[in-house]
Amino acid sequence: MNSFPLKIVTPDGLLFDGAAQELIVRTTSGDLGILAGHINCVAPLGMGQAMVLTDGKRRYAACIGGMVSVVNGQVTLVPTTFEWADQIDVSRAEASKRRAEQILQDRSATDTQIRLAEARLKRALVRKGAAQRK
Amino acid sequence: MAGVSTKEIKNRIRSMESTKQITKAMEMVAASKLRRAQAQVLSSRPYFEILYTAIRDIVGTNKEFSAPYLVKRPVKKSAYIVIAGDRGLAGGYNSNVFKQVMAQIQGKDAAVLPIGKKAVDYFKAHHIPVLTEANVFAEDVSIGDCFTMAKTLCKQYLAGEFDELYVAYTNFISVLSQVPETLPLLPLQYAQTEKAGGVQSDMLYEPDSTAVFEAIVPEYLGGVLYGALCESRASEQAARRTAMDSATQNADEMIGELSLQFNRARQAAITQEITEIVAGS
Repeated sequence: MNSFPLKIVTPDGLLFDGAAQELIVRTTSGDLGILAGHINCVAPLGMGQAMVLTDGKRRYAACIGGMVSVVNGQVTLVPTTFEWADQIDVSRAEASKRRAEQILQDRSATDTQIRLAEARLKRALVRKGAAQRK
Repeated sequence: MAGVSTKEIKNRIRSMESTKQITKAMEMVAASKLRRAQAQVLSSRPYFEILYTAIRDIVGTNKEFSAPYLVKRPVKKSAYIVIAGDRGLAGGYNSNVFKQVMAQIQGKDAAVLPIGKKAVDYFKAHHIPVLTEANVFAEDVSIGDCFTMAKTLCKQYLAGEFDELYVAYTNFISVLSQVPETLPLLPLQYAQTEKAGGVQSDMLYEPDSTAVFEAIVPEYLGGVLYGALCESRASEQAARRTAMDSATQNADEMIGELSLQFNRARQAAITQEITEIVAGS
């Protein structure tokens, strides 16, 4: 299988720099799979799991926000947060999920609070989902 | 007479010594904070650089594009994000940034978004309109705050509240050298010659170009802001460390001079006493 250069970088640092055979990310308009020789393309990322196939091994991660771009074969993934499945703190995600659910059930919560809680709940679910796939 | 002067000198030495203790302590605190800030700068730099190149390539590849973020509007009002520190005693760190900003907004109708207590105070004292005072403490601004700020700024830009946006920060070159810089953020503009790299002009936008830019530009701004903030924080600690180091050295020098004076005065007093005794006998 042909491979392509992939860079994954977040504000916390360069997380991956090397050759990959396949990349699947969740964009705002659905899952996007990238193989070697992909056309130049940009897409904003949504919240979801990412999969990187490198050296014949599949690695999963929770990948939230940011963008993915392919320019002349160079694939760059610039998410806001990116956590490999084996590095996710499941208990933290669980706690975050519970807190968000509490706020959502609270009838006196304001619109902003509800919006924030929804986003938090979604992030927590993505993290939990990704952590189960390691 | 000589007794009074030795006492005075002694007092000055003592006060000098306590000053030295303070500057020494501040230097040590700055040095340990600097190490942390430096690590942060190093880890955030690749993000900053890759984000910048990615955006440059994307902007460079499309020609017929007319997104609001790319179009240059006649400049009526400018906005500057100014990143400075919360505290003084950091050499020229704060004033260098302010000087640069003041020189640039000369004659412009400009508003400022200050980050850091010193920046807020400075621009209020100079009667320059301040967009928001939400970020009084530069040390407490997190990456989440950067993204929220970027989103608000993009909205304001699209609403026409200002026509260009800059960020003024201090670039951390090394522990000994920090340079204030101003970076244009909006509208997005990149040298057209960059396209000579042979980037093909057809780019696939998923789902479409407007949606892509609407989602990416705030992210980009947030990332750049965070990068600038990291650079500035490291610069502040480095500047403070250098300033406090030279203050400690100056105090050392002064103490040396004063103790020489003190010993001389003491010796003079003794000599005088001996002369009086000899003369009296």
